[in-house]
Amino acid sequence: MSFGAPYISIPEFQYLKPKTLKEALETLSKYEDEAKVLAGGVGLLNLMKERLVEPEYVVDIKGIPELRKVTYEEGKGLTIGATVTLSELENNEIVERKYTALHEAIKVLSDPVLRNRSTLVGNVCEAFAWMDSLSPLLVFDAELKALSVNGERMIKAKDFIIGLAETALEPNELVASIFLPEPPKNSASKFIKFRSRSEFSVINVASLLANRDNPPERILRLAYGGATPSPVRVFAVEKVFKQQKPLNELLKEALDVVFKEVSPMEDMHASKEYREHLMETLTIKIIRELWGE
Amino acid sequence: MRQKYIGKALPQLDSFHKVTGIAKYTHDISLPGMLHVKLVTSTEPHAEIINIDASEALKIPGVVAVLTGKDFPYRLGIYVGDRDVLAIDKVNWVGHPVAAVVAETMEAAEKAIDLVEVDYKPLKPVFDPFEALKEEAPIIHPKLGEYRRAPAFTPVPGTNIANKFTLRKGDVEKGFKEADVVVENRFYMPFVSHCYMETQSVVAHYHKDGTIEIWTSAQSPFAVRNLMGLSLGIPIGKIIIYQPFVGGGFGGKAGLHWEPLAALISKKVGYKPVKLKLSRKEQFTSAPVREGFHAEVKVGAKRNGKLTALKAKFILDSGAFADYTVNVSRAAGYSVGEVYDIPNVYCDSLAVYTNKVPTTAMRGFGHPESAWAVERSIEMLANELKMDPLKLRLMNVVKAGISTTVTGERLREDAGNPVQCLEAVAKAINWGKTEEKPKEPWKFIGKGLAVFSKGPAQPPNAASAAIIKINEDVTVDLMVGTGNFGQGTLTSLAQIVADELGVPVEKVRIRTMRSTDTVAYTWQTVGSRGLFTDGNAVLEALKDAKKQIKEVASQVLRVKPADLEIKDGKVMVKGRPWENVPLSDIVMGYTYPNGNSIGGPIIGRGKYISPINTYLDPETGQGIPTIFYTFGAAACKVEVDVLTGKVKVLEAAQAFDLGKAINPLLVRQQVEGGFIMGLSVALFEEIQFDERGWVLNPNFSTYWVARAADIPSKIDTIPVENPQKDAPYGARGIGEVVMLGVPPTIANAVQNAIGVNINNLPLTPENVWKAIKKQRPELVEEIKKKLVSWKWKV
Amino acid sequence: MKMPRKITFTVNGVKKQVEVKDNELLADVLRDKLQLTGVKQACWRGECGLCTVLLNGKPVKSCLILAVEANGAEIVTSEGLMEGDKLSHLQKSFVENGALQCGFCTPAFTLVTHYLLTQKPDASEEEIREYISGLICRCGTYNEIVKAVKQASQYYKK
Ligand SMILES: Cc1cc2nc3c(=O)[nH]c(=O)nc-3n(C[C@@H](O)[C@@H](O)[C@@H](O)COP(=O)(O)OP(=O)(O)OC[C@H]3O[C@@H](n4cnc5c(N)ncnc54)[C@H](O)[C@@H]3O)c2cc1C
Ligand code: FES
Ligand code: FES
Repeated sequence: MSFGAPYISIPEFQYLKPKTLKEALETLSKYEDEAKVLAGGVGLLNLMKERLVEPEYVVDIKGIPELRKVTYEEGKGLTIGATVTLSELENNEIVERKYTALHEAIKVLSDPVLRNRSTLVGNVCEAFAWMDSLSPLLVFDAELKALSVNGERMIKAKDFIIGLAETALEPNELVASIFLPEPPKNSASKFIKFRSRSEFSVINVASLLANRDNPPERILRLAYGGATPSPVRVFAVEKVFKQQKPLNELLKEALDVVFKEVSPMEDMHASKEYREHLMETLTIKIIRELWGE
Repeated sequence: MRQKYIGKALPQLDSFHKVTGIAKYTHDISLPGMLHVKLVTSTEPHAEIINIDASEALKIPGVVAVLTGKDFPYRLGIYVGDRDVLAIDKVNWVGHPVAAVVAETMEAAEKAIDLVEVDYKPLKPVFDPFEALKEEAPIIHPKLGEYRRAPAFTPVPGTNIANKFTLRKGDVEKGFKEADVVVENRFYMPFVSHCYMETQSVVAHYHKDGTIEIWTSAQSPFAVRNLMGLSLGIPIGKIIIYQPFVGGGFGGKAGLHWEPLAALISKKVGYKPVKLKLSRKEQFTSAPVREGFHAEVKVGAKRNGKLTALKAKFILDSGAFADYTVNVSRAAGYSVGEVYDIPNVYCDSLAVYTNKVPTTAMRGFGHPESAWAVERSIEMLANELKMDPLKLRLMNVVKAGISTTVTGERLREDAGNPVQCLEAVAKAINWGKTEEKPKEPWKFIGKGLAVFSKGPAQPPNAASAAIIKINEDVTVDLMVGTGNFGQGTLTSLAQIVADELGVPVEKVRIRTMRSTDTVAYTWQTVGSRGLFTDGNAVLEALKDAKKQIKEVASQVLRVKPADLEIKDGKVMVKGRPWENVPLSDIVMGYTYPNGNSIGGPIIGRGKYISPINTYLDPETGQGIPTIFYTFGAAACKVEVDVLTGKVKVLEAAQAFDLGKAINPLLVRQQVEGGFIMGLSVALFEEIQFDERGWVLNPNFSTYWVARAADIPSKIDTIPVENPQKDAPYGARGIGEVVMLGVPPTIANAVQNAIGVNINNLPLTPENVWKAIKKQRPELVEEIKKKLVSWKWKV
Repeated sequence: MKMPRKITFTVNGVKKQVEVKDNELLADVLRDKLQLTGVKQACWRGECGLCTVLLNGKPVKSCLILAVEANGAEIVTSEGLMEGDKLSHLQKSFVENGALQCGFCTPAFTLVTHYLLTQKPDASEEEIREYISGLICRCGTYNEIVKAVKQASQYYKK
C-alpha cells in the first residue's frame, strides 16, 4: 500500500446517522456497495481523502446504543462493541489483565490522540497487513459478530481477513462486536511490535502460553502481523510445544515450522531477508519472555 | 550602558500570539472573493508534453480556469534560472506541475485536477547522477546555456552539470606522499524533506493598476520581490510582499517559490485574489527538498596524527532543478575540512541534474554534507591510527590568528575556538570513561563526537538595513528585514534595542505581519546571518538615533552631547543624573515653555554590508567566503541493539563558540531543535523513490520525523563565548550549525559501540543490521546464541 | 450538489450554529467558518496532530472528523484554553520555558497536554512523551514542552 494522493478534501456523499441497529442494517442492505460504515473514521476518512474508497452514503454507527458496550462474563469471555474506542479498551482492567497481548498492542497502536477516536472493530475491518490488533485477536481465538437484515453470523478472526484490505464481510453486513473467549486457565500473553521508521509494524508478533510445565497440556500460540499481506496464526507450531523437550529444541523446531508456513514479504519498509531475521528473533524473544525462568 | 536584557533568557516577544493560536500564518490568510489553486502534476519522470486537454475539468461547477506552462513563458531562479512556473513543453520529474486549476472552492479544484488530460511522449529518464554524467545520458535541460545565472556559478551546457566548483589548496599529491596513513571511503546522504510544519502557501492579488500584493510563507520577502521582478520583468516597485507568521523554513522557504505562479494566475483570472496551499504530499513531490549526496573522500596523516592532505569528490544529486543547489555544491566544496588545518586540500563538487524531485537549500547548506563525509573519515582515520578520536581532532583543528582555512584565508584572531567546544562536549558525556554494559547481551553502548563549523554562504554583497523609529510614548518600532520562523532573532534584536535606548523590552515593537513596504531591507533570512548582519545594521541605527536624541538634549541641558547618557527613559548628564530630560519630551521634538521647538521625530538608520568577503577564485576556490565561522562540537552516547539494528541516542551535548549568547533561551532552543533535526535525519529520514521515479513515502506515516519519544531528555547546550569584534556584542549566528554535525556524531558513536562503519545515511535498523552482518558476521551469530539462552525474569 | 445542513455545537463555551455540507471536515469548518486559527493542518491525514481539538473533553484530530459528526458536541480549541484575555497557567508555562519556536504546532501541544494533566497531573516524563507522540514539532521543542508541562502540573493537582 502506498498512500500518496494530493487531496485535502473529501468528495461529496450523504451522511446518515441511524439511531437503531435495525435502521442501520436496513440502510446497508438498501445501498450495499454504495454505503460505508463510519466508526472512528480514522481509517475511512483517510481512505476517502486518498480516493481509495468513494462511498455515496456514509453510515455513522456511533448513535446506536448497543454497539457502545463492553461486557465480560467470567468464564465465558469478553464482548467488545463496534464503537468502543481503543482508549476505552486501554483503560479497561479486564483487557489489561486477561487479554494482555491485546492490551499491549493497543498501547502501541497509532498514538494516544488517535486512539481516543478509533475503534478496535474499525481497525480489524480496515484489514491492512500491518494492523496491530489482529495478531492478538488471532491468539485469543476471537470471533466477530456480523449482522445484516438477514440475521447474524459469527466469523472467526482467522477467517475474517481474506486479503490485503479485504474482509469476509458482505456489503450489507456490519460487525456488531468482537467476542474473545475466556483465555485458557493459567495463561499469559504478550505482544511485540517492531517499527522501523514508519508508524506501522514491519512485523508484530503475539503469543500466548499456558501450562508451561506440563507438556501434554501446554498451550503455545503464535500469530504474526506485518510479515505477510494478511496477519497469520501459525497453528502448526502448537503441536511442537506439546512435546517434552528442552526449550532450545522446541524453539528450533518451532522456527522451522514457522518458516515453512510463513514466507515474509518484501516492501518499502523492509527487505525479505530483514523481515525473516526479525521474525526469527522476535519469535525467540517473545517465547523466551513468556517462558520466564 | 547597563545590560539589563542582553544575555537574559527571554521568551520570544510574539509568544502570546503563537501559544494561543491567534497568530496568523499564510495558511490562515483569506481575502474576499479569493479563488483556490490546485496543481495537476506529472505522472512521467521525463516526457514531452504533447497536449493538455482541460475541457472536462472546466465543466466542473466552480472551476474558473485551467492554466498551463504555455501561459507562463518564464524561467525563475536565484543562482541559475532553471525553473519554470509550470512545465514548459517538457516534464522533468514525477510531480512536476503541468497545469493549475483555479476554482471557487478547494473541493471543486480537487475534483477538476483528475479530469485534466495530459498526453505525454515519454523520454528516457535518468535517476542516478553518475549515469547522468555519462556521454550518452539524456539531457534534462537542453537550454541550460540560455538561463540567467549569477556570476559565481558555472553550468556546463550540453551536459547535466548544473555547477562545478573546484577547490585547490597546496599540493594534495605531495601531501599524500608525506602521509603515513591514508583512508579512503565513500559516503551517501539521501534526499530528505525539510518538513516544516506549515506547507508552502501563498495568497496573491494582482491589481488592475499593476500593483501586486503577495502574502507568502517565505523566509525572505525582499528576495521574493527582487527575484519576481527579475524573472517576470515586473518593476519591483509594483510588488508588495507580506510575510505573516511562518511555520518553519529550514532553508526550504528561502528564495522564490510559488509566488510568481500565484501572482500570474491572479491576473489571468481577472485580477482576483488566489491562494495556493500545498498538501503534504505535494510538499514532498512537487516542491524542492534537500539533494542526495555522494562523496569520495581520501585523508592522509602522519603517524602522529597530523593531517597532510584531503581530497574529496562530491556529486550532488540535484533533481530536476538545481537553481539553489548549485550554491549548495559550492558551499559543500569550500567547507570541506574547513574546521581543520590541512596544508593540502583538493575538492571537486558537482551539482548534477536527474529526473527526480528538485532540490534546494536546507539548514546547514552543504556543510552537513561535507561534515558527514569528513567527520566520518576522521573517525576512521583515528581508528586506523589507533588514536583517540578526540585527541586527533584537538591536534588538527584550526587555530584563530594562526591557521589558514581551506579557502586560503588567514583566520582572524577573534574567530572563535573549536578546541574549547570539543573539550566541553567531551566533558559533558564523560568521554573516555567506560560505561556500564547494558544487561541484555545484545545491547552495546558507544560514544562519539564531531567538530565542525559554518558561516553564512551568502553572496559577498548581501546587505542589510535597519530603521529605528521612536513613537510619542517612547515605544520603539524596530524595522528590520530579517524574518521570524522560529529562531527568534527579532527578540534578540529587541533586547539590544532595549538596552541601548534604556527602555523596557516590552516597549520595543516587532512586527508580526511584516512587509517589504514597512521594514528595512535585508537580502535574505538564511545562512544564520540574521543576528550578525541585521544586528550590525540595528547597532548603527541605534547609534544614529541616539546621536539625534543627544543633540536635542544637549541643547536642552546645555552640555556637550558626549557628556550625556540615555538611561531608564531619560537623557541625563553623566555623573549628575538629576539633570535630565525625559525621552518622551524629545522624541517628537523638544518644546520650550514659550512654544519654540527644536529637533523633531527621531528615526535612526543603519546598514551593513561585508567589507571583507570576496568571490572565490573560479579555478582554486580561494578567497573569503564568509563573514564569520561558528565553530561547534557535538557528542553523544548511543545504545545499539545488535539484534534488530536499532540505534537509540541516550544523551547528547553540543557546544558552540557563538561569541555571545544574547538570549540563552533562544540559543538553547536552536541547539536542541538542531540536534533533534540532526538525529531525525541521521536515524530515520529518506525520501524513497521507486524505479520509475515515484516517491514512495510522501507522508508522515512512512517518512518518519523524530517525535518526543525518539529523543534523549538530556541534550546539553554549552555556549562558548569568544566574542568577534565586528559582530553585535560579539555574537555569531547559530541557526544551522546546530544540526550539521549530528549525523556523524551518532555514526561515530555507533562505530565506537560495535566497531561497525556506516557511511550511508540513514542509520535505520535495517541498514545498521545489514552493516553489522557484513562487517561483523561473528557478532550476529554470537548474539543469536545468547538470545536463546538468555534467562528472562518474569 | 448535496444540500448543506445546519449543525449546532458549543465552541469554547459559546453555542454556534453553522451550515455545513456532509463532506466538510471539522478542521476546515473551525478554521474557515469560525476563524479558529489555533487549529492548524500540516498533513491532512491524522499524522501530525496539529489539528487537535478537545471534543467532548478529549483530544482528537479534527482533520479526520466530519463536521456533521460534531453536531451537539462541545469543542475546545487553543483559543478556548485562555482564561479570559489572559494566558492559562499551562500556556504561560509553555511561553516561559520556550516551548515554542515557529509556533505552528504549539496550540495543539497545549491542548493535548492540558487534557493529560487533567487526567493525570502527576504524569511522569515518560508518560508525557508518550502522550504527545501523535504530534510533530519540526522545530524540536519537545524537551521544553515536557518541562512546561511538569511546571504547570501543580495547577492541576487538587
Ligand atoms: C497516523 C495513523 C497511524 C496509524 N497507526 C496505526 C498503527 O500503528 N497500527 C494499526 O494497527 N493501525 C494504525 N492506524 C490505522 C488505525 O488507526 C485504523 O485502522 C483505525 O483507526 C480504524 O478504526 P476506526 O474506528 O477509525 O475505523 P473507521 O475509519 O470508522 O473504519 C475503518 C474501515 O472499517 C469499516 N468499518 C468500521 N467499523 C465497521 C463495522 N462495525 N462494521 C463494518 N465495517 C466497519 C469502515 O467502513 C472502514 O472501511 C493508523 C492510522 C493513522 C491515520
Ligand atoms: S492535519 Fe490533522 S493530524 Fe495532521
Ligand atoms: S514550534 Fe515550529 S513546529 Fe513546533
